[in-house]
Amino acid sequence: MNNKKILVCDDDPGILEMLELILEEEGYEVVLEDKSVNALKKIKAEAPGLVLLDIWMPVISGDQVLRAMKADGMPMPVLMYSASTDGKAIANAAGADEFLAKPFDIDVLLNSVSRLLER
Amino acid sequence: MDEITYNTKKATGAKLDLELLSKVMDATNTGIVITDNGLPDNPIIYCNPAFEKISGYSRNEIIGHNCRFLQGKDRTQQQRQTIANAIANGEPCNVEIRNYTKTGKLFWNELYISPVKDESGKVTHFIGVQNDVSSRKKSQLELEMANSEMEKTIEQRTQLYKESQEYLTSIVETIRESLVVMDKEYKILSANNHFLHTFKVSLNETKGKLLFELGNGQWDIPELRKMMEEILPTNNPVLDYEVEHEFPHIGKKLMLLNAHRIELEGQYKDWILLAIEDITERRAIQQRKDDFLSIASHELKTPLTTIVGYMQMMERLMPENATDKFKNVVEKTGRYVQRLNQLLSELLDVSRIQTGNIELHREPFDFDRMVVETIEGMRGASPDRTIELSGKTEIFYNGDESHLIQVLNNLLSNAIKYSPAKSTVGVQISKISDFLRVSVSDQGMGIATDDQAKVFDRFYRVGEVQRDYPGMGIGLYICQQIISNHGGTIWVESEKGRGSVFNFTLPINN
Repeated sequence: MNNKKILVCDDDPGILEMLELILEEEGYEVVLEDKSVNALKKIKAEAPGLVLLDIWMPVISGDQVLRAMKADGMPMPVLMYSASTDGKAIANAAGADEFLAKPFDIDVLLNSVSRLLER
Repeated sequence: MDEITYNTKKATGAKLDLELLSKVMDATNTGIVITDNGLPDNPIIYCNPAFEKISGYSRNEIIGHNCRFLQGKDRTQQQRQTIANAIANGEPCNVEIRNYTKTGKLFWNELYISPVKDESGKVTHFIGVQNDVSSRKKSQLELEMANSEMEKTIEQRTQLYKESQEYLTSIVETIRESLVVMDKEYKILSANNHFLHTFKVSLNETKGKLLFELGNGQWDIPELRKMMEEILPTNNPVLDYEVEHEFPHIGKKLMLLNAHRIELEGQYKDWILLAIEDITERRAIQQRKDDFLSIASHELKTPLTTIVGYMQMMERLMPENATDKFKNVVEKTGRYVQRLNQLLSELLDVSRIQTGNIELHREPFDFDRMVVETIEGMRGASPDRTIELSGKTEIFYNGDESHLIQVLNNLLSNAIKYSPAKSTVGVQISKISDFLRVSVSDQGMGIATDDQAKVFDRFYRVGEVQRDYPGMGIGLYICQQIISNHGGTIWVESEKGRGSVFNFTLPINN
């Protein structure tokens, strides 16, 4: 596991691009994935220190990805986010380490990211 | 030792007395309320079951209110002044006053008010004892009416009757709503054209039939039947009862039913008027609108997240030598992005309420601390305004803290928004019986009586307000939904030009 590497999985290219800019600016190595079906394989291959996961994605939702990660015994923390109001309940039920509601504040996001990576 | 035994006996006796007293209060047919004169606006802190029965309100809707809510809009009665004087002087009084039940039904209330004083002679409480004397009043009025009727000639009466019948028939036939008149056995005496047209039936297959036997038994619903059976003995109407049914000829429809006892020339007949409205299409449009709101606000949040992210990056990456003008533009953009976010959240709230998705996450929290912190937050956002807090509840309330913060924030920001720049906003909190009460008062423009009930409607905006203070008209609607989800009530007391007080109560033992 690389403690400077963060994998972001979201079907929205705008969000991916924005998060890449913000996280790289903070000195993190960022890996992007816009198809949740590829997420599990990519996480295995890249072994990031943290995964950022959107919840509502086509084909496989973020909470399904997280459940598959847990079933596979992947140890890295996961931060989920969503614009949906039931997002928090979904994230908690799936076992996410943290949840942020969209739109999130950058400072809050970066705080969560560094805290989760320090674990 | 003897003394202790004696005292225990005495205490047990007092306890028995108290229990007996409370049973008497529960059993009596006379409505009894107690108000606390020590609290602002002299709110009701106790009512017995008979008072609930007389007024038609439940205890939840009574505790914490001032007694004047029974008077509805009928505010010109001489008796009001008598009561006001008695209360101001701490004296007993006895009046017969026109009051209104929850459904708006008039009843004559024979009201005795007595002050309760402490040792120093200070009035601490008032006890109101009330009896519904409508039937006595009614027979009085009927007697008076009968006497005056005698003076009219039979000819005049016949003419009048004929005219009013024609008048009535023309209204019934013109109206775009299905109307049916029934006798006390629910046998149909007449049905208007709109009814026949809507249900694609003829007068022959309708007239003379029993309501519950029409079509394929569409109205034969035990709950509806029970309500219909209560109309004649109690005068209680059936209001906005929805029936979704697969009707013969016209298929699945959603119908809205209203039924009243027929009243002609001030006299009740043993007839029932049933009005039926097809609201299938209206409901479908409503549903589509709600779905649209929900999807639109959710979809808009994703690009907004990107914008917020870039906005904040712009602030972080701001070159040190950037001009003030540029910094100002960035700062303003950030502020309006926040405003947009706020509006979207409100829209999302509305769509959630509409689709019934607003979930309460109840957890006990320190109610007073929540109020103090919310006020602090508001002071931070409007540093030039004074917000005064008085009272305390000292309650760990089991409710959804974030929702209640939202309510208080909304009431506070309204109070600030609609009142003059330097005026004070007051917040009063108290524990009344087993309820919490919060009042937010301002010295603003006030709300006209006609608008007071409507301000809690979705998308309702008082006409003149829309011009000066643009908004969507959903804040108070959301407040009302949140408070009623907690089992409480919210209401406004206001006079045009003299400020408004928004109040809500929350039951503590939910």
